[in-house]
Amino acid sequence: MSYDFNIESPQTADELLAVIAANQDKNFRFGAGGTDLLLELKRAPQENLTVVNLAQLKDPIFKSITKVAGGYRIGALVTAGEVLDHEEVKSEFYTLWEAAHNLASMQIRQVATVGGNLCTASPSGDIACALVALHARCEIINTKGELRSVSVADFSTGVRKTVIQKNEVLRSVVVPINSNPNLHSGFIKVGTRLSMECSVVSLAYHIQMDDNRTIRHAGIAIGAVAPTIKFTDSACAFLIGKSKLIDTEREEFAGLISDYASPISDVRASAWYREEVLFNISKGLME
Amino acid sequence: MKINFTINGKGRAKEIKASTLLIDLIRDGLKLKGTKPGCFEGECGACTVLVDGHAINSCLYLAVNVAGKSITTIEGLGGEDQFLDIVQEKLIEHGGVQCGFCTSGMAMSIKSYSDKCKEEGKVPNRNEVAKSLEGNLCRCTGYVKIVDAAISVCGN
Amino acid sequence: MNDELKYIGKPQPKFDAKERTTGRSVYGHDIELSGMLHGAILRTKYPCAEIISIDVSEAEQLAGVECVITAADIDANKISFKEDHPVLKSGLVSCIRDEIAAVAAETKEIAEQALKLIKVKYNERQGIYDPFESLEEEAVQINQWQPEDSPKNVSMTFEYEHGDLEEQKSKSKVIVKRRYHLQKMTHCCMGSSNITADYNPAEKKLTLYCGTQVPFLYQRDMAHCLKMDPSRIRVIQPVIGGGFGSKLDVNPFEPICAFLSMKTGRPVQILYSRYEEFLASPTRQSMAIDLTSGADENGRFTFREVEIIKDNGAYTSWGATTPFVMMQTFSSLYKMPACKLTSTAVYTNNPNAGSFRGYGNPQATFSVERNIDLLAEELGMDKSQIRKLNSNTPGEITGQGMHFRTCGLLEAMEIVAEKSNYESKKDMEQSGRYRRGIGLGSMLHVGGGAKIYRSDGCGTTLKLDPYGCLTIITGSSEIGQGSETVLAMIAMEEMGLSEDKIKIINSDTDVKPWDVGVHASRTSFIAGNSLLGAIGKMKEMISPRAAKLMGVEIQDLVYEKGLIRCAQSDVQIALDKVVRDLHFMPPHELAEVSYFYEPPSKYQDKGFKGDVSGNYAFAAQAIEVEVDTYTGNVKVLDVWVAQDVGKVLNPMGLQGQIEGGVVMGIGYGLTEETQMKDGYVLNPNFHNYKLLTASDVPEIHFYPVETNDPAGPYGAKGVAEAPLIPTAAAIANAVSNILGVEMNELPVTPERVLKAMKNKSELTERLV
Repeated sequence: MSYDFNIESPQTADELLAVIAANQDKNFRFGAGGTDLLLELKRAPQENLTVVNLAQLKDPIFKSITKVAGGYRIGALVTAGEVLDHEEVKSEFYTLWEAAHNLASMQIRQVATVGGNLCTASPSGDIACALVALHARCEIINTKGELRSVSVADFSTGVRKTVIQKNEVLRSVVVPINSNPNLHSGFIKVGTRLSMECSVVSLAYHIQMDDNRTIRHAGIAIGAVAPTIKFTDSACAFLIGKSKLIDTEREEFAGLISDYASPISDVRASAWYREEVLFNISKGLME
Repeated sequence: MKINFTINGKGRAKEIKASTLLIDLIRDGLKLKGTKPGCFEGECGACTVLVDGHAINSCLYLAVNVAGKSITTIEGLGGEDQFLDIVQEKLIEHGGVQCGFCTSGMAMSIKSYSDKCKEEGKVPNRNEVAKSLEGNLCRCTGYVKIVDAAISVCGN
Repeated sequence: MNDELKYIGKPQPKFDAKERTTGRSVYGHDIELSGMLHGAILRTKYPCAEIISIDVSEAEQLAGVECVITAADIDANKISFKEDHPVLKSGLVSCIRDEIAAVAAETKEIAEQALKLIKVKYNERQGIYDPFESLEEEAVQINQWQPEDSPKNVSMTFEYEHGDLEEQKSKSKVIVKRRYHLQKMTHCCMGSSNITADYNPAEKKLTLYCGTQVPFLYQRDMAHCLKMDPSRIRVIQPVIGGGFGSKLDVNPFEPICAFLSMKTGRPVQILYSRYEEFLASPTRQSMAIDLTSGADENGRFTFREVEIIKDNGAYTSWGATTPFVMMQTFSSLYKMPACKLTSTAVYTNNPNAGSFRGYGNPQATFSVERNIDLLAEELGMDKSQIRKLNSNTPGEITGQGMHFRTCGLLEAMEIVAEKSNYESKKDMEQSGRYRRGIGLGSMLHVGGGAKIYRSDGCGTTLKLDPYGCLTIITGSSEIGQGSETVLAMIAMEEMGLSEDKIKIINSDTDVKPWDVGVHASRTSFIAGNSLLGAIGKMKEMISPRAAKLMGVEIQDLVYEKGLIRCAQSDVQIALDKVVRDLHFMPPHELAEVSYFYEPPSKYQDKGFKGDVSGNYAFAAQAIEVEVDTYTGNVKVLDVWVAQDVGKVLNPMGLQGQIEGGVVMGIGYGLTEETQMKDGYVLNPNFHNYKLLTASDVPEIHFYPVETNDPAGPYGAKGVAEAPLIPTAAAIANAVSNILGVEMNELPVTPERVLKAMKNKSELTERLV
C-alpha cells in the first residue's frame, strides 16, 4: 500500500454535510490544513481512503472569528495565523493568542487550523490546551444539520480520540468573554529549544481579577502530562477570592495542579521531569 | 484531476492525482528544482513557497488546493524585469548563503514576512524577524547573517 | 607579496551566491538523466538478527521494477579501511541501518512499493548496544570481519605517550579524575545523502554524481569495492547540501547504486529520505572518556592520563581514527609535560559512527576543559588565570612533536576574558529562578592540513584565455564553506583581475588535478598555497613576454585591473593581449600551467610523534548563559570567540564559519543527540532531533587574532572546525559554575540540569 487517496473538496457547508452523508459506509478523514493528516498518511497509508478536504470550504461560520452574545465564535477552519492577527483575541484571550504564537512555525501557522488542533486530539495540542483553560465549547454539526455543544475539556476522550461521531463535523468553538477588568493570562510551553517544539509540558492560564486584584475566575489547563488535556478544577477553586499567594500557598497550589498529571516517559522527556517541571512552573505562575 | 493555477506569474493547467503534494507538482511536474526537498515533514522549511503571497511548506500542502491560486517559487522571486529580488540581494550582501540548500526556503519566508510587515507598516525587531524564520532550518550559517539580511529587507 | 592588499582581508560575498539564491544550483536531488531509474534500499527490521531467507520474486514481478539485488547478486569487496563492511548483508544483520536488498524502478513510488514486497525471514538475536558490554569476556563477536590482530570486538586501538608520567604525578598537588559521556550526533546536512550512478556498458565506464568530500580517495575506494579499474570511474560532484565530515567514507548506498546501474545499464538515482538520513548516515561517535589530570601547587599542569572507549558501531569508518586528532588536544592543548592515552574503538550493534567536523576534538576538548575547571576549583585558583598560566606559546615544540611556529592562544584567552567582562561575571551571586554565569573553553586544532595520507597536497591548473579570463581548475572541493570564493580572491589579488574574469572548475575527477579532499580545515590553506604556486608559474610565463612587449624590466611589472603596467613609467598592456601574443606568435604557447603543493608537514612516526600540520589554529571562547532553575532550560546569552586564524582572508566567509560553528557547538552542548535504545534510533526526524532555530541563537562576538603564520597563504590558518570545538565545554563549565554541580555529560538537557540540582540538594540534605 502506498500513499494515495481520493478527495472530496466541498465548497459550502451544505456540500460538506452531503459529502459526509454520502461517505457514511466508507473510510474517510477530514483534512483542513493537512499538516498532521498528510504526515500520518505518508507514514501509514490507508486503503481506499477518502480525504474530505476542508481547505476549499467557503462557509463563514467555519472560516471566521465573530462576536456573539457572551463571547466569540471561532470557526474550526480559522488558522493559527488568523488567530494571531485578531486584535480582540489577543486582548481578551491572551492565553489562546500565545498558544497560537508558539505553535510550530510561520509556515505551519499559515495553514494549521483551530479545529485541526482540537480534532488531532493530541495531549500536547497547544491551542486545545488554551481553549480548555478558557472554558470554550465545541459546536458540532451532523449530517442532518443538527448542532450540539460539548465543552472543549470533554471533547477529547483519549490520545487521538474525540467525541465526534462519523456523521458529525466540528464547526466552531465559542469562547466566553471575560467579566473582570484585570487579566493574568498566558501560555507556558516547556521544551528543549525555543521554537518548533512539541510541548514536553504545557500550561494555559486565564485568571480574572476584579478592581482590587482579587481573583474572581480562574481557568488553568495542563497539556502533555496525561492522555488528554486536563482542566485543573481544584487548583482553580483554590485561587478564587485570593489575590497574592504566600510561599506555602504557592506550593499547595502547585501540588493541586500536579494532582491532575499522570505523565509518561518518552523520547522527549521522562515522567519524572514532566512532574518536576509542572510543579515548578505552577509554583512560578503565581509569583 | 485537472487544476488551473498561476505559477510565477504565468497561468498553467496541470493533471494531478488527488494526493499529489505541492512540492511534487513543483519539482517533478513543473520541473522547478529550486524548491528543495529537505525533510518532507514540515520541519525544515527548505521547500517553502508562497501561495497567494503566504509562505507555506509545499511538502505538507495538497496540490489540489492551489487551484485558482497563485504560487511563487524561488525562480519567480525576481520577477520579470529585475533578475534579483531585494531578498536575494540582501542574502548575498550579508553573506547569508553557505551550502545554499536552505536558501530558497529562507528567501521565500523572508519575502512573505517582509511583505506582511510592509502591509502593516511595521518595522519588526530582531527577535520578531528571527521568530518568522523558525520554520527554516540551516546547518551552515548559524542564522546570524540570514537574520541580518531579513532585517535589512524589513527595514526598507 | 604586496604589503597593501586590495581584496584579501576585505569582505567578499560568496562567488556562487547568486546561483544559490536564485535556485539555479543543481544539487544531487535535482539531477535527471535520460532513462534514469530510481533506486531504493531495503534495510533490516531488527538491529541484530540472522537472515533465514530473502524472497524477492514478488518485487521483481511488479510492473516498473527493472532490477532487484541482494548480496547474492553482486561481486564486491567490503568497504571501510578495515574492510569489515559488506555493502549488502547476508547471513547476519548487525545494526538497524543494514542493507539487505535494493531495487531499481521506473519511479520512486514503484521502488518503494517493491521494497514492501520483498519477504525476509529473520531469527532475531540479542544484540550488544553498550561498548563496555562488548568488551566483556562472554560477549559474542559482533563483526565477523573484524581485524584478526585485535582483541574480540575491538576495531582499532591507539596508544600514545610522552614525558614521565610517574614523575609528573608525584609533582602534582591536585589530581582530578572524571568520566565524561559524549553523545551520538547526526550531521543533519540540509540536503540528504544522494547519488546518481550512470554506467555505460559499451565503454565499461561508470560516472558517479555524488556529494563526496574526498573525490579522489572516493574514486579509489569505489573502484576497490566494485572491483573496477579506478580510471574507469569518473566522479562528478554536484552542488552539495552540506558536508561537515559526513562524506569522507564510502557508504553502502553508493556502491549499491553503482551495482544497480551496472545491472540495468541505465542511470540510477538514490536519494535518502530524512528518516534514512538519521538512520543510515554516519554520526559523531559517542564515547566515554576517563580523564585524569594534575597540576602542581602553582597551578601548572603536570600530566594527563586518558582512557577512551568509543562506540564504533557495527562497522568501522574513518570515525575510528578520531583519536588521532583527540590525542593532539590531550598531549598539546596547554603546555603538557606528560601524557598517556589509550583509545579503543569497540564494535556494538549500533549504526556505525563516522567523521564529523572537529574529528573527535569537541569530545576531547570537553573533557580537558571540564577537568581544568575542577583543578582550578581544588587549587582555589581563578579559572581564567590557570588557563593563561599554562598557555601554549609561539615557538613551542610539544611533547607530541607539533611545532607551534605561531600561536595566538594567550592573546585569544585575554581577549575573551576582557570582552566578556569575565572578572565581573565569574562569581555572580546565585539566587532566584533565573541564574546567570559564565564559562570558558579553549582549543587547539590543525590549521594547515593533517598529513594522515601519503600526500596532503592539492593540485591547481590555470588557464588564461585570449580574452583575459582566468580559469582555475583546482583539486579542492566547494562544500558550502566558501573555498571557491577565497581562491577567486587570491587570483583577483595576484593577477589584478576582477571577479567576472575568474572561473572555477572543481567538480570533475576527469578534469581536475589530485587533492586529498575536504577535511582537517585544510582547503583555504592547502588549495590557497597551491593556487599561489600556480600563479607564480603563470607569471613566469606571462611576465617576460609582457616586459618584452612593453620594453620594460620584469621586476617593474604590476598586475592590476586586467592590465600589466610598469611601476616606473606609464607604459601598460592589457593582459589578454599578452596571452594572445604568447598564443599566436612563435613559438606558440598556451597560457596554461600546473602546480602541485605539498605542505611541509610530516607523516607522524609509529608513536604518533611529528609535526603533522602546516600550522596550528587556537581559539578561546567565553560563554554567558542563563539557567531557568524551574525548567532546567539553559539559554546561551552571549558567546565571545577569539580565534587565531593566522590572517583574515575573507572576513565575511570567516564570520560565517564562526557563527555556524558556534551554533553547531551550542546544539552539541544543549539539544542535539541521536537517541538510541536497543539498537533503534528513537528520534529519526527533525521533530525530535532538536536542531537550533533562528530564535535560539545568541549574540556571537568574534575577534580574529592574526599571527601571520609563515606557512599559510598570506599567513592564514585553517578556521572551519575550530569554532564548534570548545563551545559545549564552555557551556557545561558555565552551568556547572552557576549551579555548583558537575555537568559531565552531553547534551546538557533541561532534564539533566534538574537532575543535577536535585542530586545536589539531596546530597546537601544528607550531609546536614
